[in-house]
Amino acid sequence: MILPTDLTDAPARALTVAPSPAFWLALVLYAAAALAFVFAAAGRAKAATAARWLLAGAVAAHGVDIGWRGVLHVHPAQSVREALGLTAWLFAGGYLAAASRFRLDLAGGVVAPVALGILAAARLTPAGTDPTGLGTLGRIHIMMAVVGVSLFAVASALAAIYLLQERSFKKKRLDTLAWKSGGAPLESLDRLANRLVLVGFPIFTVAMVLGVIWVQQRHASFGRPEYPLALVTWVSFAALLATRVAYGWRGRRSARLTLLGFATAMLVLTIYLVRRVLAG
Amino acid sequence: MSTPGELFVVGMSWRTAPVAIRERLAFREEELANAIKQLCVDPAHEALLISTCNRVEIYGVGGPGATTAVKARLAANRGVPLGEVEHALYAHHGDGAIRHVFKVAAALDSLVLGEAQILGQLKAAWATAVAAGVSGPLLGRCLERAFGAAKRVRHETAIARGAANVSTVAVDLAHKVFGDLRGKRVLVVGAGKMSTLAARHLRRAGVDEIVVTNRSPERAERLADEIDGVARPWADLEAELAKADVVLSSTGAREPILTAAMFKRVTKARRWRPIVIVDIAVPRDAEPGIAERDGVYLFDIDDLERVVAANMAERAKAAEHAQHIVHHEAQQFERWLGQQRVVPTIRALREHFTHVAEAEVARTLELLHRKEHDPAARDQAIQRLGQLLVAKLLHQPQMALKDTDEAAVDTRIEAAVALFGLDLSRFQPSADPADALPDVDVAIEHAKREAK
Repeated sequence: MILPTDLTDAPARALTVAPSPAFWLALVLYAAAALAFVFAAAGRAKAATAARWLLAGAVAAHGVDIGWRGVLHVHPAQSVREALGLTAWLFAGGYLAAASRFRLDLAGGVVAPVALGILAAARLTPAGTDPTGLGTLGRIHIMMAVVGVSLFAVASALAAIYLLQERSFKKKRLDTLAWKSGGAPLESLDRLANRLVLVGFPIFTVAMVLGVIWVQQRHASFGRPEYPLALVTWVSFAALLATRVAYGWRGRRSARLTLLGFATAMLVLTIYLVRRVLAG
Repeated sequence: MSTPGELFVVGMSWRTAPVAIRERLAFREEELANAIKQLCVDPAHEALLISTCNRVEIYGVGGPGATTAVKARLAANRGVPLGEVEHALYAHHGDGAIRHVFKVAAALDSLVLGEAQILGQLKAAWATAVAAGVSGPLLGRCLERAFGAAKRVRHETAIARGAANVSTVAVDLAHKVFGDLRGKRVLVVGAGKMSTLAARHLRRAGVDEIVVTNRSPERAERLADEIDGVARPWADLEAELAKADVVLSSTGAREPILTAAMFKRVTKARRWRPIVIVDIAVPRDAEPGIAERDGVYLFDIDDLERVVAANMAERAKAAEHAQHIVHHEAQQFERWLGQQRVVPTIRALREHFTHVAEAEVARTLELLHRKEHDPAARDQAIQRLGQLLVAKLLHQPQMALKDTDEAAVDTRIEAAVALFGLDLSRFQPSADPADALPDVDVAIEHAKREAK
């Protein structure tokens, strides 16, 4: 990971800038992709292909928007809003990468609207005030947390699909929505989700440690609701990895832990966002 | 001019005849090459004979009487009185035959909708026809298009998706859990016929290891030999369950063999790795309770039947879309065939015009050489060439327009307008002798005389 240079000499950072045309395009494409995934789930084979291309277009446009904001001195890790936008981008991009290997059209129906929602929440809420004391440490903390949570997000999408498919497979129902478009092999979903967590966990751990140091540096209170929640996230994924190594837990149990960890991570981000908006 | 024959098909299928009749007309594979030669003699110029357990069909190209003759010849060849089988035989000509072969190739006429074998069988039948020297361009082209349509149907619709019989369901289930089956281990418990069949399908799908266990070691050995697996003693059952990914069980035991108590130990030893158990035995070999354990997927015979039924329902739904594709592709071929009919006419027309032009041009060239130093004569010669060509080429059309009975005049006028792109509005019928057409023959004579 490239450490940002000392920021004291850097040009003044803009808190926010007007949305670029690429941002609006990304919003429209995410929405169109979400709609196409719904049609795909209804059994239209051509809609699935269209949905994947629309999502790829949305991710591309979103990437251009993030780059554009960078050029205008809006760092992707300088505020909760920017961090959320980056999370949505990594989430959608990660899903696309996974979908190039397996048939994950059903997950696309979740990924596209979620990415759309996060992006809209990130950009269309009030900008709030410039967070004080956001130094290099804070920026690295945010950046690593974003990457870690994005990896968990993709793992969660796979875990959700796994649970849906597994449940109907266990009930011996193969004509349900989960399997209709072919579905992805259960073992592959489980393995891929586990690998994502395996990569995301150390990154997230470092982010947690940096976060603690950062709070201490600012002499701020640890008595905020998001801190225990973040700990729950960490413990969920730690438990997932530990039980897998120790007892061979996998499948349904791992998938549930993944979803629990991701849900609390999202809750943390939401609290941050709400606090920032209220502060504004 | 000989009239080109139409495509036709004569045959019977599971739709029209019970097996008691189908078997009387069926051919063994080694008989096909000889039979096709006997069946195809004129009026059928091209021929193809396909004989499967669900259909016997002869495709060919011939005139209107061809199908009757082929029916009689088929019955004679099989030594069956025609009267006894004629009610089960169908015959299609032209477009009907084209549509039929397209449907057959796409497995829309098959007993098991969307099955993959018929396409291979048709291709083999075509190879036999080619080897026997009775293949031809029309049938060849038609089959080529039909194979293409079948391919489209398989790719674009769900008609071939999902196992269509109980023994292949195990492969589908294993794919859904494991994806790639390479490196996976199959355990066959007992020696039932269905699990043997399923094990073979799994082997073909890429499974590396097949282990067989049976209360009787001899039977285990025999089955292991048969399906290229390894036999293991019955006492190792639990240890094998801990290693297997797919279990095919079909013993004759009265009591369950795969018990809940056993699976409590097995799933832990397996570290919760998923296991697919296909229990084809009646009474069942597996206690239903084991399915409640994480990672254990248990399917009994009823479940398998249900999966097959659901798959067949999906195929039936997909068949509608497949019909559209086949219909469209058949229509394309019919259109192409229609275009092919005018090709000989176009060729003849070109040849005729070229002959006339070549002869006159040659004569004019000769004249030009002789009059090398007489520019006026040369100009005249070229003008005459133009007049002569017009007169000669229009001679026959003009005769045809004039010398026809009253009833056909309008059709010929229409044909002339369409063929030459004429605008008749500037020309009115007239009784004035001054407007009378110069006689073509006179004009030609005149031009010739001047040329000399």
